[in-house]
Amino acid sequence: MSRTEAKKPSLCTNDPLTKERVSFSLSVLSGIVKSCYGPTGRLKQLHNGMGGYVRTTSQSSALLGGLSITHPVLKVLTASVQNHISRFSDCGLFTAILCCSLVENFQRINFAACTVTKISRHLLSLCTDYLKSEACGCRISVDFDNIKTLLSLVHSILASKPACMLNKTEANHLSTLVLRAFLLTIPHTIETNVVLGTCVIVPVKDKRVMDSTVFPGLLIEIPEFQLARTFPVKRVSSSTIKMALFCISMSGDLSNTGEGTVIVHHGISLEVAVLDQLLNLGKQLVNDQVGLVVCQKVIHPSLKQYLKEHHVITIDRVGVSMMEPLSKMTGSQPIAALHSVSPTCYGSLKDLRTESFVSKHFLHLIPNDTLVCSLILCNRSEMAWDELKLACQTAEHVLQLTIKQPLALLGGGCTETHLASYIRHKSFTLPTNVLKAIDCSRTQYQLVADAFCRSLECVACCLEHDDGEILTDMVYGHSWSIQSGFPCDCNWSDLVLKCGCGIYNNQQNLNWTVLRSQCIPFAPQSCSNEPSINSTDHLILDCFTAKYSGLQVAVETANLILDLSYIVEDQN
Amino acid sequence: MASAASLDLGRLVQEAEALASAVRGALGPRGGQVLMTRPTGETLLTRDGRRVLEALNLGPPTARMMVACVSSHHSMTGDGAKTFIILLSKLLRGLQAILDKREGSPFCEDIQRRERDQKHCHSLKQISQSLMTFQTHILDHIMAQDLRKHFLSAFSSWEGEISRDTMESILEAYFCGRIGNSHQKLLSQLSCDFYYRCIPFKNGKNEMLDLVNEYFLELHSAVTGLPVSNSRILEGLVLHRDFAVYCPADGDIRMLIVTESIDSALSASGLEFVVNAEVQYQASQVWITKRTEAIMKHLQNNNIKVLLSSVKQQEIVIYYAKISGISIVECLSSEEISLLCKTTGISPFIPTQDNIRSEIAETMIAKFCRPLVLGSKRYVHLGLTRTCAFEPHCVIFCGPVHGVTEQHASAFHGAFKMLQQLFKAVDLSDGCEINDQQLKTSLAETEKQFIDSSSLVDENPSCNQTDLQKSSDLAMPIVELESDFMFSALIDRGSSVRELQKLPLKCKHPSEMWVKNKSEPVVNNHRICNDAMTAIETTSTSVVSKQLNAAKEYWKPGNHIVPFKYEKSYKHTVQSYTNLVIQAGSVLSVGGNFEILLHYYLHSYAKQCQQPKLTVISTVIADALLSIPKILYRTTKENSFTQVYFKATSALQTNQQLPMHQQGLESVYCKYQLVASVLHCLTKLLTIDLIIGIKRPPQKTEVNDSEEDL
Repeated sequence: MSRTEAKKPSLCTNDPLTKERVSFSLSVLSGIVKSCYGPTGRLKQLHNGMGGYVRTTSQSSALLGGLSITHPVLKVLTASVQNHISRFSDCGLFTAILCCSLVENFQRINFAACTVTKISRHLLSLCTDYLKSEACGCRISVDFDNIKTLLSLVHSILASKPACMLNKTEANHLSTLVLRAFLLTIPHTIETNVVLGTCVIVPVKDKRVMDSTVFPGLLIEIPEFQLARTFPVKRVSSSTIKMALFCISMSGDLSNTGEGTVIVHHGISLEVAVLDQLLNLGKQLVNDQVGLVVCQKVIHPSLKQYLKEHHVITIDRVGVSMMEPLSKMTGSQPIAALHSVSPTCYGSLKDLRTESFVSKHFLHLIPNDTLVCSLILCNRSEMAWDELKLACQTAEHVLQLTIKQPLALLGGGCTETHLASYIRHKSFTLPTNVLKAIDCSRTQYQLVADAFCRSLECVACCLEHDDGEILTDMVYGHSWSIQSGFPCDCNWSDLVLKCGCGIYNNQQNLNWTVLRSQCIPFAPQSCSNEPSINSTDHLILDCFTAKYSGLQVAVETANLILDLSYIVEDQN
Repeated sequence: MASAASLDLGRLVQEAEALASAVRGALGPRGGQVLMTRPTGETLLTRDGRRVLEALNLGPPTARMMVACVSSHHSMTGDGAKTFIILLSKLLRGLQAILDKREGSPFCEDIQRRERDQKHCHSLKQISQSLMTFQTHILDHIMAQDLRKHFLSAFSSWEGEISRDTMESILEAYFCGRIGNSHQKLLSQLSCDFYYRCIPFKNGKNEMLDLVNEYFLELHSAVTGLPVSNSRILEGLVLHRDFAVYCPADGDIRMLIVTESIDSALSASGLEFVVNAEVQYQASQVWITKRTEAIMKHLQNNNIKVLLSSVKQQEIVIYYAKISGISIVECLSSEEISLLCKTTGISPFIPTQDNIRSEIAETMIAKFCRPLVLGSKRYVHLGLTRTCAFEPHCVIFCGPVHGVTEQHASAFHGAFKMLQQLFKAVDLSDGCEINDQQLKTSLAETEKQFIDSSSLVDENPSCNQTDLQKSSDLAMPIVELESDFMFSALIDRGSSVRELQKLPLKCKHPSEMWVKNKSEPVVNNHRICNDAMTAIETTSTSVVSKQLNAAKEYWKPGNHIVPFKYEKSYKHTVQSYTNLVIQAGSVLSVGGNFEILLHYYLHSYAKQCQQPKLTVISTVIADALLSIPKILYRTTKENSFTQVYFKATSALQTNQQLPMHQQGLESVYCKYQLVASVLHCLTKLLTIDLIIGIKRPPQKTEVNDSEEDL
């Protein structure tokens, strides 16, 4: 008889957004994400009271993954941000901040949820159409011939993670490394569907950041005692080493014997039979002039010894994650048979060396065609290393996204303020038939549009954490920040230096106003082909694909949350 | 000790109303979403009434029974859970009001003789009986006689084709109720696309819908973290597995399905393998390897490029596959395998000693077979060539969170269930040949007279004018008669001798119709009459089809004189040729039209019904039906419920078509099924007289459980 337990009835909440509990926890969450944003963002320390690992971070993926959220409304919000991060790695905080402030601002105007939803979806479509169009004034195209834009993109990502504890030279050094590692994964030959290689990050935690470097090929860690007996390696020619890659166990255990029974007569040892087969295999490998045998699982010591005697280097227990880069890099096929191995499965290597870092020893497999590279990432403290690894992975992912869609958005808050001024301008000149199609009045539309723009500008304002002021100009709609403690009687143009993304320097004719103050709507000008463009310095750039999708996800999630009329919580 | 309590109508009302209040907020296009958390902590967004009701985890057995009824209705029609519970609560409330009134109520006639409880029970039983009578006799009858003339047909031609416009408005209305107005446009476009791309030829729609509904899980994939606008339809099938081996291939790709491991083991179950010598063991190992190699070579020689396996294959198989250039997909679910078998009509390949030499017959051809990355998962994308009534396509749902993709997927599935219902027809149940002694009401008499009159028309067309005048004296409301005859006149081209202009019709162009009738040759002398005659219709199907054709031909020239003009050119159905209450593809415009219509006709039925019990029941049902449009119009400013209702009833009284407030159509069959299910549930609830709480778990044959197979 099954054990049946009475289920507890569920807890229902009506109109959840009007409840104190929701708005309070929403404001706490939005406070956390806002304070983390940008290069001067504040760090958060995550720990649990029981002790153990403490994490210092300002990145959304670590932050949201660490928070334990109980309220269902917030769960929806964080889940959608986390899903965004898992797709794009970048722009997680942007999505979270935008979503929070959209919910807050839309709640403040207090319209029926379906009206707000309709209008904000229209506003979103205005934004996405604009960002996709050629006329878009806040995006630049990425030229892969010119390293500078790519470098700016990587640098902006690394610089916006203050918990990595990088100084300026270190950030520059790492940006170059990440970019070089990425370029190594691009295949030389052009086929119809290009498959990028992989970059393996090797942790070395006791050295300076400046000691980080990139190697083409793979680094496989080996114990020190093995290092002594690896040489000399048998070569086919001066630049070719034949290698065999096995994906089955070579430990001499019995293979699958099926569901029936196997009866073994006395005096017969199956282990010996298998070992015999292994040694035969070893003989074949030696005859085939194989210089390196790599096995995913364990190699029997007798076979290892036999191969060593014939100057064949063996590496075992490389694990399943290394199999794909290994076979991709060397062109060898993972072998799953212990006899009659086809010679077509062998791969080749250009060279084999040993490398040592601090206390770690590596066998460096150098391929003929680089598709795989290893990034040795160093940082002094464990905590900062974790943060740095995450940042480097983000940067790599962003570069992959950028190669698919070679566009970048202006960073430093300029995209947000530019987009906000574009939407303000558009909402004032909206034709009446559009309003009719949305089924709302012009005032309603403008109020929602205003809330939408204020949420966008709020993201730009979050870049400033030190009581400074964010200004916007009335020509390009970019964002300009000034430090706190400015004298109130002086001219704005004396205080500003560069706009947020670094594309414009201080010019006379830009009409600055404080962001979030009422201003006349204007059509922001595009940044392309202007003489005033600052071309010497690094720009601050954001990944187009990630931000484009993040914007949509934020608006959709905000709409979803506003549309909630009821919560049913299962208490079991 | 078991506790027992008698069924209390008051409690039932309370429970139903509590349930209704949980879903009321999510009803209609202006309703909101419900956020649910599961015991596992995951969140789910929904507007699906069934999900919400099931998540409530209710204690009372009667409430659980109501939810079970809702669930079974919903799983059948894919729609209407919220309307179900609201209607049920209103009906219970209405019945309670009757019982409370007591005096003058037909259900409380002989109360003096019994104890209070018993009499209460007795009256409940009586109500339930009358409900049963109502459901089996009157509902179908009213549908057939009165409501049917308001139905529109979703089909643009008589072969059952459905135009894209109509399809879109049906789907849009459906998604409006299921997911709200945020993404309804996108999803209705998507499902419309899916329907037209999956259906290879006109007549395969039922087969295709069956297949889509059965295998919906295999036909969709969800990606979280992307905006909803990235949702799309892909040609071909997506298998929810990655390649174990992938060897790119071009052109037509031959594929094979296997359901067991290709590599044979040393021993099989029930067999013994005796090792006599080490050499023997080695030799057998070698033999196994060689055999696997031989099979893979054989497949390669047969130009097989892809192996689809339901089990995990040994590494050795994968190794040889890679060498032979064969891609392998393993661990496919049994549903995926059966979907593949159904769409391609092949059966799995079993390698045996005999057939590894011969030609392999059971293969399928794919246009492409390649990896597909969705979100962070890698899947296999197969472009199968069709061999059955389903052109393989699949849907990708994108959304910021899992709750959204889940909601969209279930709404999409529901839409296809709804379409399945849309193409169903309702036969007039035999009970409607009103011979019951119980139902010797004036209505039956009216019908008889009516039949007489129409048969007179049939026999002697020249003198039908007088007959018509006679028939206008019948007890039927004059309005209905007018419309009936207007219809017969429109269709009845054969009896052109009729002097139509003398009929008391409100037809716009009687003279023109007259001319038309005269000018065209007499093609068909069969009587095609609109309503009520269904019960006595005896013509065979071949005749019916002839009539259909005739009517179709007539329909086009006569279209502009149809008094019921529509903004769009939905064709009015002329459904009188068969024994159908609801013809396949019948639709009505949304916005509570069905409820208002049924309300109106039930009321007029109640007025002339001579059975007091049925009168009361009809009135209660009619009033309860109005609660749905009341909720639908609760927040709109320009169309308040009273305005809508007033407009609709005055239109009905003057015999005009109902005003349409919203675009969109809904299936009549679903609505009809809903009313029938609610009445059925109500009947079941009221037949219970005692609720007994027991300590041990109930047996399978328990009352509450038996609701599952409603």
